[in-house]
Amino acid sequence: MGMVEGWQRSVADVNNDILVNTRKPHPMFYVALAASLLCVVLGGVFWGIQITRGMGVAGLNSPVYWGVYITNFVFWVGIGHAGTLISAILFLFRARWRNSVNRSAEAMTIFAVMCAGMFPLIHVGRVWVAAYWMLPLPNTNNLWVNFRSPLIWDVFAISTYLTVSLLFWYMGMIPDLASLRDRMRGFKRLVYGVLSFGWRGTAQQWHHYETGYAFLAALATPLVLSVHSVVSWDFAMSIQPGWHTTIFPPYFVAGAILSGCAMVYTLLMPVRWMFRLQDYIRQEHLDALLKLTLLTSSIVFYAYAVEFFVAWYSGNVYEQEIFAKRLHGDYAFYFWVMVFCNCIFPLVFWFKRLRMHVPTAFVVCVLINVGMWFERYNIIVSSLVEDFLPGSWGHYQPSWTEMFITLGSFGWFFFWFLIFCRYFPIVSLSEIKLIMPKPMRSQSSARQAGGD
Amino acid sequence: MAILRRLFGSRQRQGVFALYEYLDDAIAVITKLRAQGDKFDVFTPTYYHELEAALGYEPSKVRWFTLTGALLGVTFGFGLCLLTDYDWPLVVGGKTAGIYSLPAYVVIGFEMMILLGAIATILGVLLLGKVPNPKGRIYSTQTTDSRFGIYVYGIDDKHATAKLLQERSVELEVFR
Repeated sequence: MGMVEGWQRSVADVNNDILVNTRKPHPMFYVALAASLLCVVLGGVFWGIQITRGMGVAGLNSPVYWGVYITNFVFWVGIGHAGTLISAILFLFRARWRNSVNRSAEAMTIFAVMCAGMFPLIHVGRVWVAAYWMLPLPNTNNLWVNFRSPLIWDVFAISTYLTVSLLFWYMGMIPDLASLRDRMRGFKRLVYGVLSFGWRGTAQQWHHYETGYAFLAALATPLVLSVHSVVSWDFAMSIQPGWHTTIFPPYFVAGAILSGCAMVYTLLMPVRWMFRLQDYIRQEHLDALLKLTLLTSSIVFYAYAVEFFVAWYSGNVYEQEIFAKRLHGDYAFYFWVMVFCNCIFPLVFWFKRLRMHVPTAFVVCVLINVGMWFERYNIIVSSLVEDFLPGSWGHYQPSWTEMFITLGSFGWFFFWFLIFCRYFPIVSLSEIKLIMPKPMRSQSSARQAGGD
Repeated sequence: MAILRRLFGSRQRQGVFALYEYLDDAIAVITKLRAQGDKFDVFTPTYYHELEAALGYEPSKVRWFTLTGALLGVTFGFGLCLLTDYDWPLVVGGKTAGIYSLPAYVVIGFEMMILLGAIATILGVLLLGKVPNPKGRIYSTQTTDSRFGIYVYGIDDKHATAKLLQERSVELEVFR
C-alpha cells in the first residue's frame, strides 16, 4: 500500500505535532462551539415544550407513531458503527491505516451513541418514568419487562454498546493522557494525572495492556455487528409490510458502516486541516477509508435491489404495493434522495483521482450522510402510513418540534466532538508510533518500515 | 502527614535510571541485565514486541479475567430472563407456563456476556499492570514521549552496572 514508506516525521515528533490542539485554539473553535451550543439550547427548549404541553406538539399520531425521533435514533446509532469497526474489526485484521484515524472515529462513536440514546427518551414522552418501561424493574402489578420483545433487546444492546465503546476508547487513551500529563505543569498536570490513572508506561503495564486491548477488540467485533442487527429487529420482527424481511440485519449493518465512514471523513477533513495533521492522517489512510465507504455503498445498493426483488417474488400484494409506492408514491422524493446519495454519488469513489480530490470526496460524504438519514425516514414513514387496511391509512410530515430537536441532537454531537478536539489527543499517540519507522540506531540513517 | 506519605508518597528506593533514544540500545542493555539477574523496570512510549521478547514475558493473565467476566455475563443474562419468566410466566399461544423460550433470550445473554467480559478485561489490565500505583515513581517525562527508560534497583553510580547503563544512554540519573 506504500503507507509504511514516506513518513516525513519521526517518532520523536509525534507528541509535539499532535498535541497542538491542547494549546490556544483558533478563534473559529469558539465560533463553532457557540453555534453548537445554540443548537443544543434550541433543541432543549423544544423538548421542554413537548414535555410541558404533551406529545401532541410532536405531530406523532395514528398510524405514524414512529417518525423523525426513531429516524434520528437509527441514524445516530448507525453513525456510531464506523468507530467500532475501525477500532476493533480493523485492529483484528491488522489494517495498519486505522491507527491514524481510530481515536477520532471512536470519539465520534461515543458522541453519536449518546445522541441516539436520547431519542427513545424523547420519544416516550414522560421521560421521568422511562426507566420503568426500559429496564427490568417490576411495576406495581409485579410485571416484568417482556424479554421476548426486540425493544428490550435494543435497550440492552445500545447500553452495552455505549459502555463497551466508552471503555475501549478510554482505555486506548490512558497512555496518551499520561503523555499529556508529562507535558503539563501545575493544576493541569494533576487533572491529566488523575485522568491517566497514574499510568507510568512500564513494559509490564504495556504487556497486560496490549493483551487487554486485543480482547476488547475481540469482544467489540461481534458487538458492533449485533447492535445494528438488533436495531433492525425493532422493524423486522413486526409484520409491517416493508419491514418484515430477513435481509434487514446485514442491510442495516452495511448502511450503518457506510454512514459512519462518511461521517468520519466529514469530521476528519476540517480537523486534519485545522491542526495540521497531514503528516499523520495521511492521504492514503483517507483513501483506504473511502474504499471502505465504496464497499459498503455497494452492499447497500445490492440490499435495496434485493428488497425490491423479494417484494416482487414473494407474491404478497401488501409488500408489492409498499415498494411500488416507494418508487412513485407520496413519499417517492425521500426514496430517490436515498438512492442517489447512497448508491449513485459514491460511485465516483471507483476513481482514484476523485478519491484523492478532497472537495469532491467531502461533498459526496456529506451527501451520503443526508442519504442515510433519508433512508431511515423512508423505511419508517413509508411503511407506517399505509398498511393493510385502507381505512387506517394516514399522512405524516415532520413538525417544527421534531425538526428543532433533531437540530439540537446535531448540536449535542458537535459540542462533544469539539470538546474532545480541544482537550484530548485527536490521534492515538501510542498507536501512530507503531506504524511509523521504529527508533533504531541500526536503521536511524536509512528510514525503514515499522511494525512486525 | 507521615501516614499520607507512606500511603501515597513515592517509594524512595535507591537506583539508577538511564534514558535511551534507540530501541535496539535499550534491548541490548536489557539482555545483559537479565543475564546478570538484576532487578529493573523498563519504561516505553508504546508496545514494541521486540521489548517483550527481550524481557521474556509469559502470556498475560488478563485472559482469565476476560473469560470469567464473559461467563458470568452470559449466566446473568440468561438467568435474568429465565427468572422473570419463572416469576411471571408470559403464556404465548395458550402453551403451558414453564416452557422457556431460550432463543428469545440469546440477545440478552450475548449482550451481558460482552458487557461483563469487557469490564472484567479492563479490571484485569488495571489490577495486573498496577494502574494506579501511588507508590510507583515517574523517573522521566520523556518515556511517554519517544524515549526508553531503564531503572535498575539497589545500585548507585559507582556500581559496574551503572557503567553498563551509561554506555549508550542519553541521560543517567541516580535516585536515592
